[in-house]
Amino acid sequence: MIRGLTVGMVILAAPLLAHHSFAAEYDEKKPVTLKGVVTKVEWSNPHARFYVDVKDDKGNVINWNLELASPNVLVRNGWKRNSLQVGDAVEVSGSQAKDGSNMANARAVTLSDGRKVFAGSSADGGPQP
Amino acid sequence: MRIFRVFVLLSMATAALLQGQNSPAAVTSPAGAGAVASTVPNLPPAPAPRLPDGKPDFSGIWFGGGPVGDLELGLAKGDTIPMLPSARKIMEARQSKDDPEANCLPTGIPRTAPYPWTFATAPGRLYILFEGNIHSYRQIFMDGRAHPADPNPTWYGHSVGHWEGDTLVVDTVGFNDRFWFDFRGHPHTEKLHTVERYTRKDFGTLVNEITIDDPGAYSKPFRVTFNARLMPKGEIMEYICQENNQDVSHIKGPAGRP
Repeated sequence: MIRGLTVGMVILAAPLLAHHSFAAEYDEKKPVTLKGVVTKVEWSNPHARFYVDVKDDKGNVINWNLELASPNVLVRNGWKRNSLQVGDAVEVSGSQAKDGSNMANARAVTLSDGRKVFAGSSADGGPQP
Repeated sequence: MRIFRVFVLLSMATAALLQGQNSPAAVTSPAGAGAVASTVPNLPPAPAPRLPDGKPDFSGIWFGGGPVGDLELGLAKGDTIPMLPSARKIMEARQSKDDPEANCLPTGIPRTAPYPWTFATAPGRLYILFEGNIHSYRQIFMDGRAHPADPNPTWYGHSVGHWEGDTLVVDTVGFNDRFWFDFRGHPHTEKLHTVERYTRKDFGTLVNEITIDDPGAYSKPFRVTFNARLMPKGEIMEYICQENNQDVSHIKGPAGRP
């Protein structure tokens, strides 16, 4: 119930801010949806990060670096360092880094059983008012 | 429900940071504004509490109170920032990757990091403890001393404070010129002199009215106002920005809005 409510509110809420300009690092016009398996979780500042092995069209495996908010923001939203674990199958949507590297902010993270983790907690500048 | 409330508060505070705080519109968020904003206060419409000595009680965890993305959001309606051509040139040349805050360096004054902060006191001293803003602190002398004649230039400068009625007035000089006022890169020089006037308008709101005087970058003093909002159940937490900062090498383009 609480989780559902939180996710619902996320959609309505203002974007969270990071220590850097979101628009300077990520390109909203480069949305990505990535499916793969979590290979590493870094519960560290200024952003928590996780890494996902994703197969491209040719079957090559590419390891993506995905940015979340800081651990403090995640904790304040009710998440824990083990909310996402190595080996979890996930689908991630977000915006790719402007420099074209295999890096993105993670706006939504869905586990294979449908549970969503870290919802809305990406440091996502989003469209500005 | 606790999670829900905390989230609403954070969202609220973020909306206020993004939009400036001088009008009721400041509490709206870009999408579904009303639904979020109307639930926000959740705080009793109570007056600011007082300490036993009668002074306003500024304790608690605060969020905001200065510019994050854009200093202009703090201007009164119709005001503009009186930039000198030299300052405009510096601002236009700035690149986002060089923003000190993105590099885990301090915000200086009056910029705010999007993380909470709190006041701490000791006899003759007032401190501001920052969660973000690289987990640093400001020291404000409340013992009546004057600024040194030739202060060592620093990120937070040399601050002296006093009370004027219910308002805490903090006068600061002795800044270095390395920090930016916002993501846009509004600059300043070592001639910067700030006067912050903090007033706890009500239980949940701390108004910070800042006069910025820097003849090296601006043709005359100007004023911006930003509100900090109380996080009633919050605590400041550890935040060590430097431990894994991978952003800078991926940041591209001129300094801009969030």
